[in-house]
Parts: sequence; structure tokens; C-alpha cells
Amino acid sequence: MQAEGIQYIKFTTIPPETIKKISVAKLIVPDTYNEDGYPIDGGLVDQRLGVIDPGLKCKTCGGRAKSCPGHFGHIELVRPVMHPEFAKTIYILLQSTCGKCHRVLLKQEQIDSTEAKASLATTEEESHEVKVSEVEQERIPILKKLKSVKKCPHCGSPQAKLKFERPTFYSIEGNRLKQDEIRDWLSQISDDDLRVMGVDPTATRPEWLVLTTLLVPPVNVRPSITLETGERSEDDLTHKLVDIMRINQRLEQDIEAGAPQIIIDDLWELLQYHVTAYFNNETPGIPVARHRSTRPLKTLAQRLKGKEGRLRYNLSGKRVNFSARTVVSSDASLTIDQVGVPVKIAENLTIPIYITQWNIDHARKFLESKEYPTVVNVIAKDGTRKRVADTNRDDLLKELAPGQILERQLIDGDIALFNRQPTLHRPSIMAHMVKILPGKTMRLHVSATVPYNADFDGDEMNLHLPQSLEAQAEARYLMRPHDMILSPRHGRPIMHIEEDEIAGLYMLTREDALFTKEEACLMLASVGVYELPKAERNGTYHGRSIFSMILPDDLNYEGKSKLGKISIKKGQLTEGIIDESMIGASRGELIIRIFADHGPEAASAFLLNATKLALRAVLAAGVTISISDYYNTEAMNKERFKIIAEVEAKAKQIAENYRAGKLESLPGYTKRETLEIETMAQLNIARDMASEVIKRSLDMNNNAYLMATIKARGNILNFVQTSMFLGQQAIRGRRPSRGYGRRILPYFKPGDKDPGAKGFVRSGFFDGLKPTEFYMHAMGARDSAITKSLVTAVSGYLQRRLINAMQDFYAESDGSVRDANGGLIQTIYGGDGVDPTKEVIVAERKQQK
Amino acid sequence: MAEKENEFRVSPGEAVGVVAAQSIGEPGTQMVLRSFHSAGISSVITTKGLPRIIEIVDARKKPKSPTMRIYMEPGIEKNYEKVRSIWRKVEEVLVSSVIDGFEEDLRTGTLMLKPSKEKLDQFEINQRTLVAKLSQKEGMNVTSDEGIVKIKVKGHEIKQIRTTFVNLLNTPVIGIHGITKALVQQDDDGAFYITTSGSNMEEVVKIDGVDKERVYSNDPFEVMRMYGIEAARALIAHELKETISEEGLDVSFRHLSLLADAMTYTGSIKSVGRHGISGEKKSVFARAAYEETVKHFTNASVFGEVDDLSGVAENILIGKQIGIGTGRVKLGISKADLKKIKGSD
Repeated sequence: MQAEGIQYIKFTTIPPETIKKISVAKLIVPDTYNEDGYPIDGGLVDQRLGVIDPGLKCKTCGGRAKSCPGHFGHIELVRPVMHPEFAKTIYILLQSTCGKCHRVLLKQEQIDSTEAKASLATTEEESHEVKVSEVEQERIPILKKLKSVKKCPHCGSPQAKLKFERPTFYSIEGNRLKQDEIRDWLSQISDDDLRVMGVDPTATRPEWLVLTTLLVPPVNVRPSITLETGERSEDDLTHKLVDIMRINQRLEQDIEAGAPQIIIDDLWELLQYHVTAYFNNETPGIPVARHRSTRPLKTLAQRLKGKEGRLRYNLSGKRVNFSARTVVSSDASLTIDQVGVPVKIAENLTIPIYITQWNIDHARKFLESKEYPTVVNVIAKDGTRKRVADTNRDDLLKELAPGQILERQLIDGDIALFNRQPTLHRPSIMAHMVKILPGKTMRLHVSATVPYNADFDGDEMNLHLPQSLEAQAEARYLMRPHDMILSPRHGRPIMHIEEDEIAGLYMLTREDALFTKEEACLMLASVGVYELPKAERNGTYHGRSIFSMILPDDLNYEGKSKLGKISIKKGQLTEGIIDESMIGASRGELIIRIFADHGPEAASAFLLNATKLALRAVLAAGVTISISDYYNTEAMNKERFKIIAEVEAKAKQIAENYRAGKLESLPGYTKRETLEIETMAQLNIARDMASEVIKRSLDMNNNAYLMATIKARGNILNFVQTSMFLGQQAIRGRRPSRGYGRRILPYFKPGDKDPGAKGFVRSGFFDGLKPTEFYMHAMGARDSAITKSLVTAVSGYLQRRLINAMQDFYAESDGSVRDANGGLIQTIYGGDGVDPTKEVIVAERKQQK
Repeated sequence: MAEKENEFRVSPGEAVGVVAAQSIGEPGTQMVLRSFHSAGISSVITTKGLPRIIEIVDARKKPKSPTMRIYMEPGIEKNYEKVRSIWRKVEEVLVSSVIDGFEEDLRTGTLMLKPSKEKLDQFEINQRTLVAKLSQKEGMNVTSDEGIVKIKVKGHEIKQIRTTFVNLLNTPVIGIHGITKALVQQDDDGAFYITTSGSNMEEVVKIDGVDKERVYSNDPFEVMRMYGIEAARALIAHELKETISEEGLDVSFRHLSLLADAMTYTGSIKSVGRHGISGEKKSVFARAAYEETVKHFTNASVFGEVDDLSGVAENILIGKQIGIGTGRVKLGISKADLKKIKGSD
């Protein structure tokens, strides 16, 4: 049976006596190795502290490099020094206590009232419920007021103002307090007074914060590395510890020799500096300690802090085994919940078989096999792992018994977690069924790219293999792609159909989509349907009836797509064109309906079949664009120039109003800014006007226009910018305004009022841009590239903060939302207790009622 | 429906917090970073997009662009004249915006204002109101002539006199402090309402004719002061929804309301981040793993804090299974049953 593990962790500081008890060696030599490259006894890599060189034995535990856990040592400091990370705490304590009698500067009645609270806290503490917030929110403000107390309420002595000078110095009226004086002061504060101030004297006696003994971490915490030259390079911590010991030794010698006080004080301060840098090399107010190569040393605080620190890099995020990473590419013959895994990867990754009396024969087959699906390791009952080789296979086969674990290679049907970074939402990790394939890339179905936001231009993805049966079951039943079709963000499909497939379904279901028997057979066979729908009178087959073959038989749906009414009766599409709003990114009505009525698997199957069918249809119909699609008619060109003239005239009017002082300024803006904003708005309208012209003049026979209209690829704005004009270019949301004196480019006259001089591009891609226009366009493009990179940084940090704030919240069985300590966040999740992925389904059902 | 109802419930243990955080954060990359003004004559500037989301989530005491929507009592909301007269009382008009110019004499400490007839008329103020307003200030000797207002200030120091002058010019003549601009607008039903730049609920509510139950401000702290924490909670969720919808993005309200609840369930508005929710967590490890690692460890040792390892971050840190989701489910077995199993082995 498994032990319960760690119940709680209490934080304390280590008193000097305990340091001496923990320590296995008092270190006295400020050096590491002697000339022979052998560790010096009493030096910083003393063999009692553990060993890192293979071959050497630890003098404390006798273990070798791998088995010795390392042991702490200590340095006796001849003079006490401040612990820099506690300098502020010490400051507050000194301020809050009397300089003479060392009692807390609170009146007795105040002490009594806080003590009542404190005793309450101790009872709570017994159940490990210390109220941190109470300490931080109530005590500290009380203490902060104590710095202005003029006279000790206990002994009546006047209180001088205490000054704190960063990083570790304190002075009263210009006289610096020595570290030993501070230590004496702190040691005379009574336990009861400390409790009043919120300090737990069992965890920390304040005098422990002034160090007399320094704990030295084991060697394997600060391993030295040997360079190719054979030279030894010590860890940053070792370097700093050498500095500390060297100064400590000199200080000792000088004191013994009776050196003048100034010299002793200087050395003492230097010792203080080295200790400060040893704890935190970024302490404000100290010069940064550097390596020979001028690189700043990474000392204790730097090891813990920040993104690359111990907590975030090694503890919150861990490296894993049983994983693979490579480039992804597409494979249309996979299903959505499969992942193609290269043979090479499959040979290297393993899955454990836990042998029982029931699966021993199944397991034996793998162990017998000499090639690919074979067993890599056998783990005996006592946990020893043996690698399987041809030499020991027969022996292992003989010993095979329930209770052993075999590690076999990856095979078809195994469950694997597939992930692409950035992992922005839940469906960025999904569980796919493994399909072993030749080649060197991992493959996935195109419809599964959407939740990962993957494409195949070189993207790499990660594969993880859950090892325990519990983890495998969890992946299989909770994380499959079909369980993720509906997004938890809004309850609408995130896995849907895009681009060619949308065009395909449009071609398949439009009014005049008639196919010959041969074509119909080809299409249906691609989705595994081997019967034909009802033929039309002339012997052809309508695309709608072909499409209906992949719909569930009892599906009924009435709805509106962007292109008109949609009507499905008993699994037959009788009316309407299937477009993007049915199975695309915006609403995905049809997918929701099938998911709701027929379950996730049906929805997934429908998506897969629709993709295949659509690709056949688009292939049969042939949707292609050419330059002629963007060719303007005479009439369109006329309108195009009219639009430009019109907006430019209006912009000119605004400018004239401004000069005449008739321009009403917008709230919060100056007149000049108003002029800019309104001019820009006016010029921006040009694009909208142009897109109206396009919509009026073109029809579905223009394939480029068709694709934009049905949202397969491109949009009307692309069209406008190609065949009409690019329109106003913007930098930081405004017209370009900086550059060459009072003009953007030297081509223009200073103060040129022409819209073209301020980024209005009158040409389109079809005609080609003028040099100045090209420049303007490049400026706009660069601005948007910069903006995009900024947004990712800003929103990434937002995401981290949000997750950190809410990661402990979970839905309780009663439908409420709780935090880690049972705090009630919401009485019913979202007000209705509904699963966010089912939200739209629930809303639709309600509407039907 | 009834038999399917359970199927639609959140699964017990579901990490709804993370789902909410991801749902808000994931579309963040698609939002605009700059909150520029969608030009239109009759609109008020508001912060939009990602900056606005961050502003709300940070629980900033002063939003960058506070704004109000002031609705009228049902009786008068369709009466333009009455709404207009309320509008007059709302928008703050400073002395400097009703004068044509001024002359200052620093030796004698006199300031000569030239009120503009045109501007005064525009704001429907007469010179007497202006003089009365100025006279209210202490230590002023205000005399008024045709087209000229003369103010004599006490004091000798030039610097002091100068400051007084500047303050005088920035004195509001009419209107509510903080409301720099107000516009009367009409909704689809023909009812008039006022939108503003700047927010001051406390004063606006005092005006007769204003519907006190429908006054809207986008400043959560102001709403909390006036209407309590529940109203602030609703406002936070609503503002998030509005901002996200405006970007054309779809995020379920439940995620936003969970965030709003997380920010407000203690009774005051807490920010998301190291000074708010994350910085006040009970667990030392959870705080240390987020930001300001060393500070949290040192303080914890002084106060003798205990981490009982109940949250997600702590358990990941020490390598234990987390206590939410499927990790929440535990199997138990009675001692008697355990014996039976062991016995049969």
C-alpha cells in the first residue's frame, strides 16, 4: 500500500546550533583542490560533503557519486553578519521595539488585545491553519505605526529614529549599528513580544537572522565541471564561498594580531558584502559579483528566481520520459482521432504490459518476437530492469510470470497524448490512437489541425505516452478529439471544415449540382458508402442526395445558412446549400446538432466523411482562380476612380473646415487630432464603398469572388485591394506622420496636403503600386508585424496571470465552484451548473421548448 | 430533456478555473493592442481590446477612460428639452472655456478675465453665474464690469499668485467634477440618454430626473462604492463581455462571471496577479512559484507559515497528484473488505 506522502510543510529558519548539528564538517581552508587535483580536507570540496568524481568515496556515508546524497558543512564566521534577505524584517523588528528594554513599543492594553487574537491563532495553528493574511494585513500595519513612537511605554526611555540603509545597514542618529549589537538587541526581544508582532518564535528567533554560522551546501549542489583542457571550473556558489572564507580567515588573523579597529571594520564590511552576494547577487545597493569572464555570478536567490529558476523551470515544469517530438504533416487517410507515428519513434518508445495470469500469453508473443513489435525491457517483481537481448531472451521467457512488467514497443491502437505549443487551451493536448507509418514525420488529419493551430510548414509537435493503466483510460475516455469537438470556450465546434472543403460542399449542394452515376459512385465510395441515393428523373444524381448519405438517418434540422434556408428531413437534405455557417468556423450549426443528437463519435465521423466527400466534389467541380477574376470592367473602373475622388474631396473639405476653425473637436482630442481622425475615417470608407461595388458587379461565376463569399478562402477586402485600390495605410492606428521633416518621403513637398502623401494608396495589386505607395504599404505592413509580436507577449502574460489566479478552482459535486481550501467562489457554476461545452446545446433545447 | 440533463452538468472535479482562464486568455492573441478611437462624431472614447481587459483584470483604481451612461426617469426620457437641461448640469465647464482671454498683473495680484458672450451663451450661462462661482472662493475680491471680470487675489509671492490664477482658470462654472464631456444620445425607442467622458456617479445621482437605478459607469471601484460589491462583480463581468464581443470574439459568459467572482468573492475587488488573488493565496509554494519567489520564502519562515499542500501548484511542485479533476476521486475500502481480499491472496 502506498504511504500518504507529505501532509504539510512548515517554514522555519535554521538556528546556529542546528546548523552545527546538521554539518558534517567545519570548513577552514578557503580553497578547493591541492596541486595534485585532490580535494583538500577542510576545504570547500571536502570529501565529507559528498563526492562528485566517479571513483571517489564519500567520507561520511561511503557512497559513490551516484549513491551519496551529499552532506552539509558549515563555516564559523568570526564576526556576525546580516542575512540580506531578512534585512527588511529586521528593520521592522528593530523599529517596533525599544532600544533600551527591547520590548515591543505597544501599550500594555494594545498587547493584551492582540494577544487575545494571537492565542486564537495558536489554536488554529495546531490544525495547520495559520492565517497569513492576518499577519500581513493586520499586524504589519500596526507595526508600521510604531516607528513614530517617541517614548517606550514600558521603560519610558526616548526612542531615537532608526535609519535603514540598503542593503544591510542600520544607524541611529548617524551612528551605524554593528551586526553584533543588532544581534544582541534582537536576542533580547521576548517570545511573547514576538508573537504580538506576528513572528513565530518557534520558527524563527530574530537573532538567528544575524548569521554566526553559515551552512555550506553539499558539493553535488555546486558541482565543478572539468573542461576539455583538463582544467577544473568551479560552480558560482563555490567561488563565492571561497571569497567568504578567505575574508573570514583574514578577519580572524587580524583580530588575533590586534589590528586597528578600522582595518577590522573594513574587513567585516567586506565579509558582509560577500555573504550578501552569496545569498542574492542582485541585492539592490551592492555591486554585482562577477565571474572572471564578467558574467554575473548566479548565487542562491538567482537559482530559485524567475522563469529559469528552480521553481518555475524544474518544479512547476518537469522533463518527462516516454515522449517524442518531430515535424508534423498531413495524411488524409487517417481518421481525426488517429496520429501517424514513424516506425523509428515507435521502436524507441515503450508501453508497459503488466503481466497477469490472463494476459501472459499475449505478453509472451511480444517477448518471443525478435523484430519490431518486441519487448525492450523486462521489469522483475523486485523492480530490477533487464534489457532484452537475443542472448537472454530464452531465459527471460522461461522466467516470465505474473507480476512482472514488460516494456514493449509502440503498436497500432496505443493511446498517445499529442500536443502543440503554445498550449493555449484544453484542446491543445488531445489523445490520439497511434498508427504506425513509414516516414519520419508524425501525421494528423487536417480537421484536427484547428484546435492545435497547427499547419504543415515545419511545425513540430510532441507525443506523450501515458504509462499507467489509469492514465491510459483517462486519456481514452476524456481526451479524445471527438470529445473536444465542442470548445469549452463557447460551446461551438472548434473542429470544423475549412477552405477547399467548404468550397467542395458548396459545389456539392448548390441547386444545379448534378452528377453522373460514375461520379456519384466515386464520391460515395470515398466515404465507404456502397449504395446509391435516389436518382433524379434524367438519371443523374443531385449533390444533395449524395451529401445526405453521410447524414444520420434520423436527423431533422431546420435552419438558416448565410445563403438561405436549410432543411433536413429524416436525414435527407431537401433544401439549401451547406456553407460555412453550417460546418465552418463561425457557427457550425450542423455539427452541434449531430453532436447533440447522435453523440461525439457520430459528429467526428460526419466531419471526417464531409471532408472526404467535399474534397472529391471540389476535385470534380474544379474551383480555380486566375488573374482574369480580378479584371475590372470599364464600369467598375469608373466607379473606382469616382470613389477615390469622392473620399478625397470629403477629406479636403474636412481640412478646409479645420483651417476655417469650423471643425468641432472630438471629446478628449485636440482640433489637430480631430482633423487626423476624421480624415482617416473618411479615407477608410473608400474600401467599404469599393467592396459594395464588387458585390454589385460580380457573381458566383467569378471563382475568386465565390470563394470569398462562401468564406472558403480570402475575403472581399483582398479582392478590393487587388482589383481596386489598397486604401489608407495606417501606422499605430493613424496616418503615417513621421519621417522626413514635414513630409513622409523626400518625394513629396513639405506640408503636402495630398492624401497620397500621407499613406493613401490609390493603386491596387493588379495595377501595381507606385514607388511611394509601395513604401507606404511596407511601412503599414511592418507596423502590423511589430504590433502582432507585441500582442503575443502581452496576452501571454495575461494568460499566465489568469491561470495562476484561478487554477485551484474546481466544480464540486453539488455544482458549486470551490478553491483549494474549500472557499466558495460560485454557488452554482455559471449560474446554471452547465458544462461549458454543452452550453449551446442546452440553449438550443431551451429554445425549442 | 430530463434524462439528458445530467449529461449537460459540469463533471464534478472539473477544473473550471483553468478552463475559464484559458478561454479568456486564448483569444487574447487575436485582440488589438491599441485602443484607438472608432471615429464618429457622437461617441465617447473608451479603452478597447486587450488594454481594457488588462485594465479590468488589474483592478486599476482609475480607468484610463472612465465613461458613464446616464438614463432618465421614464417620465422625461423622451423629452429632449428636459434631457438637455440635465445635460447642462452634467458636463463640466471650466472658467477657461468661457472666456476669450485674460490679462494678469502679478505685481498687484489681479486677474482680468474677458468672458466671451458667445461661449457663455453656448453653455447657457450668464456672467452673473460666473461671478458668483468665482466669489465663492476664499480670499477673492471679484468685481464685474461690462464684459470684464476683475479678480484681486491676496498674497505677495509671485509663485503663489500664479498658482491661484491657474486654479481660477480651472474652476468649474457649472457641471459635475470629472465629467469632461457629455453627449445626449437617443436609443432605438426614441428615449434620450447621456454618455460622458469621465465618471462621477455620486454627483450624477443627485440630479433630479436621473434614473438612479440605471446609471451606468465603467469604473468598478466607483460602482462598488455606490452600489456594493455585487454590482461591481456584475459590472466587471459585463465590461469583459462587452470588450471581448466588440472584437468579434466569442467567450461564454460563465468564464467571465467566474473571473469576476474570483476577483470579488472576498468582498473587495482584488486584482489578478501578484498584488491580488495570486499574492494572497494561502499556500507559500503557490505564491513562490508565481512571482517574488525569495520574498515569499523568507517571510514564510519568519511567520512560521505552514503549507498544507492543498492547491494545484503545490502538488505539482512536490510531485504529487493534484486534487482536482480525476485526481479528486479517491477509492476507499473498509478494513473488513481489505482483510477479505488479503485473506484470499
